[in-house]
Amino acid sequence: MSGFWSGWVIVLVVGNLIFYGLLLLGNSRLTPEEASRDTTGHVFDGIEERNQPMPRWWLFLFIGTLLFSAVYLALYPGLGNFPGLLGWTSAGQWQEEVERAAEQSAPLFREYARIPIEEMRNHPEALAVGGRLFANHCAICHGSDARGARGYPNLTDQDWLYGGTPEDIRTSIAKGRQGTMMPMKALIGNTERDVRDMAIYVQSLSNENMRNNPGYADSIARAEPKFTMCAACHGADGTGNQVIGGPNLTDRIWLHSPRLADIEAIIRNGISSLMPPHEGVLTEEQIHVLTGYVYQLSQPQE
Amino acid sequence: MSSKHAVIEKNIGLMIALILVIISFGGLVEIVPLFWHKSTTQPLSTLRPYNALEMAGRDIYIREGCHVCHTQMVRPLRAETERYGPYSVASEDVWEHPFLWGSKRTGPDLARVGLRPITEQWHREHLRDPRHVVPESNMPGYPWLQHNTVNWSTMPRTLHVFKNIFGVPYTDEDIAEQLAKIEGEWADATEEDAVIAYLMSLGHARAEQREEAK
Ligand code: HEC
Ligand code: HEC
Ligand code: HEC
Repeated sequence: MSGFWSGWVIVLVVGNLIFYGLLLLGNSRLTPEEASRDTTGHVFDGIEERNQPMPRWWLFLFIGTLLFSAVYLALYPGLGNFPGLLGWTSAGQWQEEVERAAEQSAPLFREYARIPIEEMRNHPEALAVGGRLFANHCAICHGSDARGARGYPNLTDQDWLYGGTPEDIRTSIAKGRQGTMMPMKALIGNTERDVRDMAIYVQSLSNENMRNNPGYADSIARAEPKFTMCAACHGADGTGNQVIGGPNLTDRIWLHSPRLADIEAIIRNGISSLMPPHEGVLTEEQIHVLTGYVYQLSQPQE
Repeated sequence: MSSKHAVIEKNIGLMIALILVIISFGGLVEIVPLFWHKSTTQPLSTLRPYNALEMAGRDIYIREGCHVCHTQMVRPLRAETERYGPYSVASEDVWEHPFLWGSKRTGPDLARVGLRPITEQWHREHLRDPRHVVPESNMPGYPWLQHNTVNWSTMPRTLHVFKNIFGVPYTDEDIAEQLAKIEGEWADATEEDAVIAYLMSLGHARAEQREEAK
C-alpha cells in the first residue's frame, strides 16, 4: 500500500476511535441543569419520560469495544502498512500449518514407503491414508468404491487391462495409460452386416448360449476368420493383451458396454480412453501408498 | 455538548445524513484504497486473457448458474490447498468481470480444476449426466450443452468491452485472431466444448506463477 493510502487508513481509523470515545464521554455526563430535572421533558399521552443515565454495564461494554479495537490494531495488521506487533499474516499462518503438517506426515510416509505393496493390506493405517488419497484423486473416475463406471475400469476385480502386479499398477498410476482402438469397419469388410456379425461374435466369446444357438451360427461363422484382424490387440483367443491394454473379450466384464449396439459402435468408430498420469500431481510416496491400496482391493479376503 | 443530541434526535433528516456519514467511514477505509492497491489492480505476471472459446464458456457457466454451487476461491487453509491447489490471490481476478468467487460449495471449488488430471472425455460425460461417473453426485446434468452450438453473435462486442472498458490487454491483432477462429475452427463449437475449454483453463496462471517463484 502506498504511503498516502496507509496514512489515509490510519488517520480515518484512529480518528474514528477517538471521535467515538469523545462522543461517549460527552454523552455519558449530564449537565447540572439536566441532572436537576427528574424528567427529560418528553411527554407522550400524559406519560413522562424519566431522566436516567445510561446503564453502567452498557457503557462499559461500549468502552470495552473501543479498547478491544485498540489492542487488536496494535497486535494485528489493520492500520495501513503497520504489520502489527505479532507480525501475523494469513499467508504466514498457512505456511506454518503446511510445514507443521509436513513435519508430521513426512516420517509416516517414509515408513509407508518401506512397506512392500503385497503387505500393505496388513497396515490399516497406511490403507486408511490410501483410501483418502483414492477418494480425493481417483474416485471421480473409478468410483468411490473403485468399481468403475462405463469407460472407467473396475479396480476391484481380477480383470486387468494392463496387469495387476504391483509394478503394473504403479506404472498405470504414475505414467497413465491410453487404450486406443482404431475404427475397424473398413478392415473387416466395410458393410454394416460385417460389423453386426463381428459384434455378435464378440458377444458370443463370453456367452456360451449364443455360441450354441443356431440362430447366430451364420454370423459367427462369417466373423470368426476375420477376428485375426483383432488378434494383435485382443489376443488370438480374445483374452486380451496387457501390453497395449486390449480388453479381454471372453469374460463377462466390459470396460464399455455389453450391448450389441454399443459393441457395433466401437467396431465401427474405434474408441479411446485415457488414464491421466499422476506423477507430479502425487508424490512418489503417495503413489506407493495408492498402489498398495489398489492392489489389495482385488486380493481375496484371508 | 451533552444536550446537543436532542437536536439530532428531533431532526430525522439530519440523523439520516449523519448515519450515512458514519457508515461511509467503513467503505472509505476498507474499499476505497483497494482501487489503488497493487495486489488488487495489477494482474498476476502469468495471467493470460481468455480466448473467445473460454470466454463463451464462462458466459455459459454464468447462464447455467454453475457459480451457485461452485466457488472459485481457495482460501489460505491447508485443508483447502491440499485438496484443490494453491490458494487464490486477488491479482488472479483483475480481469474477471464479474468475478465468480461464489459463496456456497454444494460441489467442490473449481478455481484449480484445470490443474487436475481430468480428461476432456470425463468432463463431457460428467456434464451430460454427473451420475454416470459419480453415482453419489447431486449435480444436475446439462445434456443440452452438447447440442447447442455457441451463439457467437455477441462475442466481438464482448471482447471489445473487455478490452476498452475493463482494460484487459487484448491487442487488435489478438481480437482479429479470435474473430477469425470464431468463423473458422470454432464456428460449430458446442456450448459443451466452450464450458470445458473454460474449465480446463482455470488455475494455470497461479500454478505457473508459483513455479516461477521457486
Ligand atoms: C480422468 C479419469 C481418471 C482418473 C482421475 C483416474 N483414472 Fe485410472 N483409469 C482411467 C481410465 C479411463 C482407465 C483405463 C485406461 C484404458 O482403457 O486404457 C484407467 C486405468 C487405471 C488402471 C489400470 C487398470 C487396469 O485394468 O489395468 C489403474 C490401476 C488405475 N486407473 C488407477 C487409478 C488411480 C489409483 C487413480 C488415482 C490416483 C486413477 N486411476 C485416476 C481414468 C482415470
Ligand atoms: C490396435 C489394437 C486393437 C485392435 C486391432 C482392435 N482393438 Fe478392440 N480394443 C482395443 C483397445 C485398446 C480397447 C480398449 C479401449 C479403451 O481403453 O477404451 C478395445 C476395446 C474393444 C471393445 C470394448 C471392450 C469392452 O470391454 O467394453 C470391443 C468390443 C473391441 N475392442 C472389439 C474389437 C474387435 C472386434 C476388433 C477387430 C475387428 C478389435 N477390437 C480390434 C484395441 C484394439
Ligand atoms: C446443484 C449444485 C450444482 C450445480 C448447479 C453444478 N454443480 Fe458441478 N458439482 C456439484 C457437486 C455436488 C459435485 C461433486 C460431485 C460430482 O463430481 O459430480 C460437482 C462436481 C463438479 C465438477 C468436478 C470437480 C472436481 O474437482 O471433482 C465439475 C468440473 C463441475 N461440477 C462443473 C460444473 C459446471 C460446469 C456446472 C454448470 C454447468 C456445474 N458444475 C453446476 C454440484 C453442482
